[in-house]
Amino acid sequence: MIKIESVTFKHQNGTVALQNVSLEIRTGEATAIVGENGAGKTTLVKHLNGLIKPTEGKVTVFDLDTKQTTVAQLARKVGVVFQNPDHQLFSETVSDEIAFGLRNFGFPESVIKKRLEWALEFFGLTEYRDSSPMMLSGGEKKRLCLAIVLAWDPEVIVLDEPTVGQDLVQKEKLREVIKMLLLRGKTVILVSHDMEFVWSLQPRVIVMAKGRVVADGAAAEVFSRPEVVGEANLMKPQLLELSVHLKNPPQKPFADIYEARQWLVSSVSR
Amino acid sequence: MVGQQCFEVVAGMQWVSSGFIFRHMESPVHSLDPRTRLLFAVELFVLALVADSPLEVSIVSIVVVSLAIVAKIAKRLVRTMSFTAGFAVMILVINMLVGQPLVYSIVLAIRFIAIVGGTSLFFLTTSPDELEYVMKWFRLPQDMVFAFVTAVRFVPVLMLDATQIMDAQKSRGLEMQKGNFIKRIRNFIPVLVPLVVTAVIRSGELAEAMESRAYGAVKKPSSLYALRMRKRDWATGAISVMLLVVSLYYFLVIAPIG
Repeated sequence: MIKIESVTFKHQNGTVALQNVSLEIRTGEATAIVGENGAGKTTLVKHLNGLIKPTEGKVTVFDLDTKQTTVAQLARKVGVVFQNPDHQLFSETVSDEIAFGLRNFGFPESVIKKRLEWALEFFGLTEYRDSSPMMLSGGEKKRLCLAIVLAWDPEVIVLDEPTVGQDLVQKEKLREVIKMLLLRGKTVILVSHDMEFVWSLQPRVIVMAKGRVVADGAAAEVFSRPEVVGEANLMKPQLLELSVHLKNPPQKPFADIYEARQWLVSSVSR
Repeated sequence: MVGQQCFEVVAGMQWVSSGFIFRHMESPVHSLDPRTRLLFAVELFVLALVADSPLEVSIVSIVVVSLAIVAKIAKRLVRTMSFTAGFAVMILVINMLVGQPLVYSIVLAIRFIAIVGGTSLFFLTTSPDELEYVMKWFRLPQDMVFAFVTAVRFVPVLMLDATQIMDAQKSRGLEMQKGNFIKRIRNFIPVLVPLVVTAVIRSGELAEAMESRAYGAVKKPSSLYALRMRKRDWATGAISVMLLVVSLYYFLVIAPIG
């Protein structure tokens, strides 16, 4: 469980990136943090594994105060997958890249071997195990970054803009991975501008604007509030728009494209 | 705390580099023609070289700081100068070790601070664009000007990259300050490799983007803006030259040492 209590963060130059943010993220929950560029999403996420310590207020991750804990200790529990793969790949081979984190966290070699095999297999990277990570395509690099983090099996997985530069097939695969993680009881926190992707997971949505939380609730509820959508400059998910504008709207907005298809096909044939 | 120490490495790098990175501001110094500012920097350099007593070099340093106060950049300049002070102490100690007199060693140390301060004053108040115009005005080759200005422009970008890379690697459990001396040096590899790789990728992208925008199509490209000396630029320049002459006369003729 993650507790953020009245957190304010000021940069060295005095700009306030977060202003009195209080949140609680429960274990096993899927949460999406959305908002404009500069709204404070990434700053908030960096508080979760201690990369940033709050100027005021307190962040506790599984009862550990982030001010008293090292990033390495917190990272073992909170795995962050950053946006730009080129900012972290450095090893000679894909295998070494995955094993790097496991070695840092002090796993025994036998466990490292097992975890490595699992990660390579699961993300379809086995054939590249001895290739240089720099030689992978953009999508493969993204997958590798996800594999790197999931290999050490953190309790909380934070994904910063995971869909950037991914085609529909890859997005669908990513959605499946997230669903699987949720089934296994993991906590998933997603930072994204991709409203369609966010909607397809039907998570709890936290909307941020100018360093503050302006809305927090179920996706359907948050996106239906025009003042929130306006203040944070969001685009409503297309499936929600469709659900609302149908002549005979469904009881609940369509959660994903498959639901919408089924509904439309049955209503046309009626 | 280990994590904190790691953070301090980056913060320290940014702290030092911020003493040379231009930021948009409005001040009497910023509004001068960049060539006048360059003249100031050269004059201060000459004065620092000619001044040969601790009092004289201290006065030059005070002039540098006073100009920085007028330019509203005193805080950052003093930061650079206090960082330089570390090297100045080294200069002092080494000179004394090789048998130079104390007074002479002190002059060398303060002179170093004054020279770095004067140079930093110019770079802190001159935007990369202005730097480009000044270099072109000196008729330096176009490619050289472009390479130099791009390098200056990319320093803040690289600093940002370095911070993000360190964040990413720390999030993978890397503890940079852990282990013995050799291990600590090895700990920099996960940061340096991505830093170099992203810099190379970025330079490739920049080259392609520049070529798509017809860079190099003509030998002498025209500029949107041209430097123009106004009355006050001439006047400030002339006054500074007069002050330089008077100071040189004082330093060399009235109060020479040795």
